[in-house]
Amino acid sequence: MNTAAIYRKEAWYDLISVWRTPGFVIPSLAFPTVFYLFFGVVFNSGAASAYMLVTYGCFGIMGPAMFNFAMNIASDRAHGWLTLKRLSPMPAAAYLLAKFTTSLVFALLIIVALFSIAAVFADVRLHSGQWLLLALVLLPGTTPFALIGLILGLTLSDKAAPGVVNLIYLPMALLSGLWLPIHIMPTLLQQASWIWPSYHLSQIGLKIIAMDQGHALWLHLSCLLVSSLLLALLAAWSFTRMTGAKV
Amino acid sequence: MNILPLQVNGLSKRYAANTVLAGVDLTLAAGEVLCILGPNGAGKTTLISIILGLLKADSGEVRLFGQLQAGISRSNALRQKLGVMMQIGSLSANLTVFEQCDLFSSYYANGYSAAELVALAGLEQHSKQRFGRLSGGQKQRLLFALALAAKPQLVFLDEPTLGMDVAARRSLWQQIRQLKQQGVAVVLTTHYLEEAEQLADRILVLDQGVIVAGGSPAELKALTQYKVISCHSVLDNAALLALPGVQQLNRDNNHIILHSCQPEQTVKALLLADESLHQLEVLPVALEQAFLQLTQASQTTEEQAA
Repeated sequence: MNTAAIYRKEAWYDLISVWRTPGFVIPSLAFPTVFYLFFGVVFNSGAASAYMLVTYGCFGIMGPAMFNFAMNIASDRAHGWLTLKRLSPMPAAAYLLAKFTTSLVFALLIIVALFSIAAVFADVRLHSGQWLLLALVLLPGTTPFALIGLILGLTLSDKAAPGVVNLIYLPMALLSGLWLPIHIMPTLLQQASWIWPSYHLSQIGLKIIAMDQGHALWLHLSCLLVSSLLLALLAAWSFTRMTGAKV
Repeated sequence: MNILPLQVNGLSKRYAANTVLAGVDLTLAAGEVLCILGPNGAGKTTLISIILGLLKADSGEVRLFGQLQAGISRSNALRQKLGVMMQIGSLSANLTVFEQCDLFSSYYANGYSAAELVALAGLEQHSKQRFGRLSGGQKQRLLFALALAAKPQLVFLDEPTLGMDVAARRSLWQQIRQLKQQGVAVVLTTHYLEEAEQLADRILVLDQGVIVAGGSPAELKALTQYKVISCHSVLDNAALLALPGVQQLNRDNNHIILHSCQPEQTVKALLLADESLHQLEVLPVALEQAFLQLTQASQTTEEQAA
């Protein structure tokens, strides 16, 4: 046995298994790109297109992370596949990292698609450093959403998972200002948006193009870090609860 | 002394007011096939799940290769020796037979290669087919092969032939016999009596969480051939004990209770010897209702299969 080979194969097969699910691939890639084409390119231009590139970028990378974790883990649990893997010498980390890699690949595809649309059709002009920085913010930005998906996947049935993910994903996107700019929302909602990791991620992204609300970077970073940490603890707790009580 | 692959002592499990397992003990040696037989709901899957550490027992202990089972999730060495086929087992529907085997074989240090696993499953013709498109029997064969991926020393097969046709079942039996010859310890649960008789060195009959009988297939079969004959008769003890097949006699005045291993012959002789005999009843031994249910159930299955 070669531990590196386990990690590599686990990641590769998770990715191709997901890639062969059109019901996952098409909505994951189509929703952010079509929305961005529609709202960011057809109905807006200039600064608004750049702003929406960031917010739809956040929206885009959240979906695959949450759905891949929640739906596939719930389904692996329901079908006993996870049980077999847990009884095998596969390290649990290989399984989780595989799912995370898949989320990153989808995030990268979405970033490339949105950046291309922005540059080609919306005439968004950023320095090369800004493009790169934005991509480097969005990619690890999938972490808290992957963790939310993981918690849901560990606790929900395979039938309930997709619905519940939508129930969290869509309102969270709206309330963090990913669809409508946060500054046009009522003050109460603006204040409440601080609880959403997606708000902080989008603000960090917007900072790169100097269109954020002007809060300090370290505030957003610490909020993202703390929320990810809390989610990780909750995920670990869900995992012990599952292994303790359920087949 | 060799370390036993599996030792279970006094395992008990309750769900609320429901006793699922009550003080189960068992041991398993290398090269031995232990069959846990019982009707649906007898506690077989619960027992396996506890042994594998998927469920917690209320009391009792499980040792795998001498090691307390509590370590199973942490002990990579233990999991390298273990093969498992659970009753609910479905793989990612989108991966092909070869891909599943490739993934699973990568987990084990000294296991089979992906190609060998495909061959073990007998699915060479279907190696590029996705799991979701295999037939029920083919899926079972693949899951069985994956249970052997480790070249394990201890294998758990929970109802492995469920949903297989007669031919597939027989070929799987053949593979289980080969495992035994290789010195693998096998725990097999089933509710087919025939399967247990064909494969097991020892059978444990589990009913409502209790091991109600245990022994070799032949011993168990003999037990079920015992019948209790109850009647009112004027014959004396010596005459009764001389009847064919009678093993044991209890009497309360004229009320006679005989234990017989050849009930038909006993009854025939009894009726000839005592014309006044009345209130004749032939009853199963108060052994285990479960085992008899199984006998009947498996007979019906065989008739259907024939």
